[in-house]
Amino acid sequence: MRELTRADAGRGEVRGLVRELAGPVFRTLPWRAVAAGSLLGLVAAAVPRLSDGAGGPWVALNLLRAAVLAHALALAFLLDDRARHTTAAVPTRRPLRAALRLAPVIPVTALWWTAALLLVPSSVRPPTGAVTLEAAAACALALAGAALAVRLSDEPRPGQSVAGALLVTAVLAVLLWPDRWPLFVAPGDPKWAGAHERWAWLLAAALLVLGACLPEPTHGRLRHRQPRRPLTPSGA
Amino acid sequence: MSAVLETTVPPVAVPERRPTWADVIQLARFEARQQLWFLPVFATLVLYVGYTVWRLLFPPDGMAAYPALQDVDRATQTGPLLLGIALFVCVNRAALRDRRRGTDRQVDAAPMEPWRRTLAHVLSVVPYAVLTALVVLGSFTWQALKPGAVGHGSPAELAVGPLCVLLFGALGVLAARLIPSSFAAPLLVVGLFAGALFLSAGTGDAPWSRWLSPVVTENSGDTLPSDLIGRPAAWHALYLTGLVLLAALGAVLAGGGQTRVLKAGLAGALALTLAGAVAQSGGDTPQLRAARERASVSPEKEQTCVRREGSTYCAFPEWTPRTATWAKVVDEVRSLAGGAAHTQPLLVRQRVEARYGLDSSSAFEPFADPHRVSVGAAWGGNRVPEFSAAVASVLVAGAEKKAGDMCDGRMVTVMWLALAWQDDPMQSLRNVRLDDSLSGSAIVLSPTNPLRMTAAQTDVVRELLGKPKGAVEAAVKAHWTELTAPKLTTADAARLLGAAVPKGGEDKCES
Repeated sequence: MRELTRADAGRGEVRGLVRELAGPVFRTLPWRAVAAGSLLGLVAAAVPRLSDGAGGPWVALNLLRAAVLAHALALAFLLDDRARHTTAAVPTRRPLRAALRLAPVIPVTALWWTAALLLVPSSVRPPTGAVTLEAAAACALALAGAALAVRLSDEPRPGQSVAGALLVTAVLAVLLWPDRWPLFVAPGDPKWAGAHERWAWLLAAALLVLGACLPEPTHGRLRHRQPRRPLTPSGA
Repeated sequence: MSAVLETTVPPVAVPERRPTWADVIQLARFEARQQLWFLPVFATLVLYVGYTVWRLLFPPDGMAAYPALQDVDRATQTGPLLLGIALFVCVNRAALRDRRRGTDRQVDAAPMEPWRRTLAHVLSVVPYAVLTALVVLGSFTWQALKPGAVGHGSPAELAVGPLCVLLFGALGVLAARLIPSSFAAPLLVVGLFAGALFLSAGTGDAPWSRWLSPVVTENSGDTLPSDLIGRPAAWHALYLTGLVLLAALGAVLAGGGQTRVLKAGLAGALALTLAGAVAQSGGDTPQLRAARERASVSPEKEQTCVRREGSTYCAFPEWTPRTATWAKVVDEVRSLAGGAAHTQPLLVRQRVEARYGLDSSSAFEPFADPHRVSVGAAWGGNRVPEFSAAVASVLVAGAEKKAGDMCDGRMVTVMWLALAWQDDPMQSLRNVRLDDSLSGSAIVLSPTNPLRMTAAQTDVVRELLGKPKGAVEAAVKAHWTELTAPKLTTADAARLLGAAVPKGGEDKCES
């Protein structure tokens, strides 16, 4: 009985914390980046409608992929936190703070994705479930990259590097992905189902990495490294 | 007791040192070195150089030994785009470094003006463009020095790769000065991609919009004589140069440069870009279209002919050195043939279909006249057994047109003649068949209309190719008249040549 009440008390404490933290965390989210990425994504997704479906389903799918990439690039900035080094020592754990950062973005992403899908004319729209899987995997990869960068480096705002790496990786993947395991297939291709099975694996892997990278490292070698010696005597 | 020393420190006159161009170069060198530490730049650079060298040292097929330089120059353009995208993002990041680190106030107090620092960022791309130019030149020279190389490369096409690297780098600095935000650069790349797709889809690939893109690729992989390609490469290089200057000077202007020279330069760059953009959007001229028509329909008016061993070889001027390799194939096939075909003079004519430019690939009509063989512009790899099959089919059937309709035991003769002399006849048989198989019925490729093989014919040919060449050759020469007679059955051909007679009777050709 006593154990239970302590757990209840702990849960209540977390609930209170969440209520207190939600507002400030919400304000520090990179809303401008998300807005820019989403807007650009919507513009890209609207191109087939503006050009009357010219280019057919293949062009529409690729534009939708570009839209997803734009949104994912914005999500790469989500875990940027100027106050990272100050908050490293607070009792509220990093997974909780990261979850608070993710929570408002997920419904925004879902809404945005619905709008983007609806913008594509139904005549050239690719199968909804499958592209949604691709979109989820791309967004999860961006977040996993951001979490990995936070975990492995001391940089409080690694978003820019993550976005750059994600962009170059995306371009390289489209060009160099081995044909034996197709990933970027056209709608109607017999390899479509197999490719989306691969996307599902990617999504799972990205979520695993994201989950594994969220806790604050307790004995990371990077964390306890000596601060870099200042370059100039004044330390500027 | 202590003496009070009253000394006034004479003011030290700090020499006002104005930043010079050498300082800008120094800073640019520093920034260029910094770029290498960015993973995207380093990775794409290694990938680009590594992949180019890999492709040169380990070419994918035999056609690489016979490059046409008017295609080789264009092939150098897409690789540097990757490096360009990485540089765009990373130069942008470097140009925003002070802002991100909050050190812009300190740096602003330094004697070097912001516009000079911006210029240094732009110049930090130059080493990468020079490196790209070296890779492009190196790979082109490597290909041009191959003994089988033909045609002419265009310096303007070769300049596109390095110019693209410069352009992307300068655009990265410009973006940093116009939109000083960390998330702008990657998004801009996606935006440019979507914009390019929109432009090409919205205008139906009109020449003017197609040529606005830095690298213009072609749908068709066919090779044309260099004067029929009709790509406004020089104007495009001018357009790209204008764009590079526009982006670079625009960045310096946005970085606080306000001199009159700069503004005049910007106006000049704009004029250059516009001139290039207008001049490159003309599309195909009537003269070019007439020349393409002439080369496709009546190539004899454009070609020079050489006689070798009794046969005549007509080729477009750029391909004249290649007639010797064609002659070798013809001689090999004729030496295996019997009867009159053993000494039959042939007319080998090079054919191109240039009427659609490089928009689409198309086949050409077979010759109806006797003893004429078509040969394409490409050579090496699979093209050799294909041409060999065409020569053999003309020797057996008399004319290309008749060979296309041939569907009887003569196919055995044709395929044995075409392949027996090759180094690895089995591999050549596989290569020359559309489905790369060694059994069953298949289409056999040739420079004009394809030939057809049935499953039984395939079995007989495969068995004959496994036997000693001399024995089969003697049988072919001894029974030449029967082996080339129309309506010959596959079973008869097998019997005459000493192969196992296929079971199951005559089978139909694939149509």
